[in-house]
Amino acid sequence: MSKSKLTRRALLGSAAAAGGLAAFAGPWKHNRVWAAGTDKPIKIGITSDASGQYANSGASDRRGMLMAISEANAKGGVLGRKIETTHIDTETTPATGSRVAERLISREDCGFLVGAVSSGVANAISQVAQRNGVIYLNTNSSSPTESGKNCHRVKFVWDGNGTNFAKAAVRNSIDAYGGKVLLLTNDYVWGHDTAKATRTLIDQYGGEVLDEILIPQGTRDFSAALLKIQQTNPDVVAAAVGGDDQIALRQQVAQLGMGSKPAWINNQQDWPDVYGLPLDNLFGVFGTTWYYGLDLPGVKEFVERYQTMYPDTSMRVPGNVFYNGYMATRELLAAIERAGSTNNIAIIKQLEGHVMAAADRMQHDDAVIDPITHQVQQTIYLATANDEPRNEQDMFKILTQSSPQDVRDEASLGSCKLESYDDTPSFDA
Amino acid sequence: MMELVPHIINGLTLGLLFALIALGFTLIVGVMEVINLAHGSLFALGAYFALATLGGGWFGSTEFGVWWLSLPIGMRYVFALVVGPLLAAGAGMIIELCLRPTYGKAPLYGLLLTFGAALVVEELIRLIWGTGEQSLTVPQAINGAFLMGGLIFSKYKFFAAGFALLAIGGVWFFLERTPYGAIIKAGSHDSEMVRALGYDLSKLRLLVFGFGASLAGLAGIILTPIWGLRPHVGLDVVIPAFLIIVIGGVGSFWGAVLAAVLVGLSVGITGAYAPAWSMMSMYLLLIAIVGVRSRGLLGRKSALEN
Repeated sequence: MSKSKLTRRALLGSAAAAGGLAAFAGPWKHNRVWAAGTDKPIKIGITSDASGQYANSGASDRRGMLMAISEANAKGGVLGRKIETTHIDTETTPATGSRVAERLISREDCGFLVGAVSSGVANAISQVAQRNGVIYLNTNSSSPTESGKNCHRVKFVWDGNGTNFAKAAVRNSIDAYGGKVLLLTNDYVWGHDTAKATRTLIDQYGGEVLDEILIPQGTRDFSAALLKIQQTNPDVVAAAVGGDDQIALRQQVAQLGMGSKPAWINNQQDWPDVYGLPLDNLFGVFGTTWYYGLDLPGVKEFVERYQTMYPDTSMRVPGNVFYNGYMATRELLAAIERAGSTNNIAIIKQLEGHVMAAADRMQHDDAVIDPITHQVQQTIYLATANDEPRNEQDMFKILTQSSPQDVRDEASLGSCKLESYDDTPSFDA
Repeated sequence: MMELVPHIINGLTLGLLFALIALGFTLIVGVMEVINLAHGSLFALGAYFALATLGGGWFGSTEFGVWWLSLPIGMRYVFALVVGPLLAAGAGMIIELCLRPTYGKAPLYGLLLTFGAALVVEELIRLIWGTGEQSLTVPQAINGAFLMGGLIFSKYKFFAAGFALLAIGGVWFFLERTPYGAIIKAGSHDSEMVRALGYDLSKLRLLVFGFGASLAGLAGIILTPIWGLRPHVGLDVVIPAFLIIVIGGVGSFWGAVLAAVLVGLSVGITGAYAPAWSMMSMYLLLIAIVGVRSRGLLGRKSALEN
């Protein structure tokens, strides 16, 4: 009887076959695994707009992310690994957003995606991100659906949304100016969702919507809409018009001297959209999550760091878009550090429900990443044009501040259905 | 019905502004058969040159700069209206020099070159003036609003429409009533014959491109106080300009003016009654007109139609 002998070659062959079989038959949800070598940089894909309606805000968003990454790298990186970035222009176009996300994940091996201003683009990116299990930070888009029906386990929303801003503004305006409201709505997802939220609040506070004028994206001449507003004669115009459209609208309203009558609620005002405009363009009240003139500890140093890092930027002080880009990225890196791993599920768990101290965020209230909707619940400020500016950057006057509880978007709690952890592909970045 | 009147007036003023945008574009297409995709960038460049002139950006804080800023804004504005288009014309001429190797080749070469030029100009604007929003100040006399029929209208928009009318008249006069205009028109009709008659065709093309570019720059100065000024503002211009010359008939001066007024009216009126369709109405107008009359409203009959 011959005795079988286990040779080294046979052993290696068996091990290779077993390994191959295991890889083939392994759990399909773990479909992408990157080697988590400690010397390998952590790659973040930046998905911000560099062209189209939100090109200017996209640049500001990007600067915020890069400052957070630069500061982390200066301290030795995260988990001892350097952070690298790749940016591809999402062109303020949802279809491009999808393509960019696919490319950053599959060809550039990015383990995280950060950035958005347009809600349509953010939604497109997040669908690709969820399919691949890649954590995606929606830094600056503020459609309520982003943390409502379009929420995802991998997506975290950092800006206040249309409902938060409307809650801060609508009641005050109806009380002060009257209840006949005309809605001026950008004809895309953010505009519609914001208008819907505003409508609900107007009904709730006893107001009446006289009409809604839809503004197609890319509109440059608002004279027809402005004539229609005059013919309708509302007490308040609730505008949800963003980006370059809003800039053109502001200039044309200012030219007609219609900034004070009727009263205007401009749901949210992104800093890059108004920076450098004459003060009479900044009519009405509007919401924001942060202002460089807030009298809070750390704000002055934050502005100085911005000015040191970006000495040649025409925008001499950071605004809300920069702030959101910075805070989102900084918190992502902190979550990786807390998780002690780059496993996406471990990091998601670190982000969910995470409380951020008011002092760290340079806001008036502690903020929390809602574990149900993944939206950051934070202080919302109501502002208007500053009629007594200290310098040419001092454009806003903060009127009121609302705590996260007062402006909470209750509707999204019911409409957001996050995918389970098991249904989210898991990997180490 | 009375409610419609202000919207018709608004549509007409908007149409005249569209005509101003399309003038330089149609001139270059008509004479040189080049679709100048850099038209929008030249529009933006004219406005930025005017901005630098108006605000004294050229001179910095020199003694001359301080003196310049002490001049009344009306005077500086008039100067900017001359300097901006002239410098845009210079930029246009440089593009034409680059275009020369593409003459006689497939139209795609010219198209790609002007597309590349548009990107270069836009990037240069970003480098020089930054990415942020700028504001082109206009004299107080033409700023503000006035009441008509109980409604507020913008003084500046009427000034701009009046200026567009003057520009249209001026270009028509130049093309129809001066010997230079006759040469340009002859060049568009039969360039070889013009050359045979002893005219320098290269110089003619250079001047036509420069003239078209100066009109783009002029349109930029007039329109950006309404639309806002940012490096990519030119993108807002190319599509309406292209639509207008196709609707009007490629190369037809009055066709372009008529098409611009129709586009203005359709955008203005739908903007009031079906605002979600206001941008789409331009395209629907294009489909309706080109579907019935493929050479546009006043376009020349092609050889195939004879």
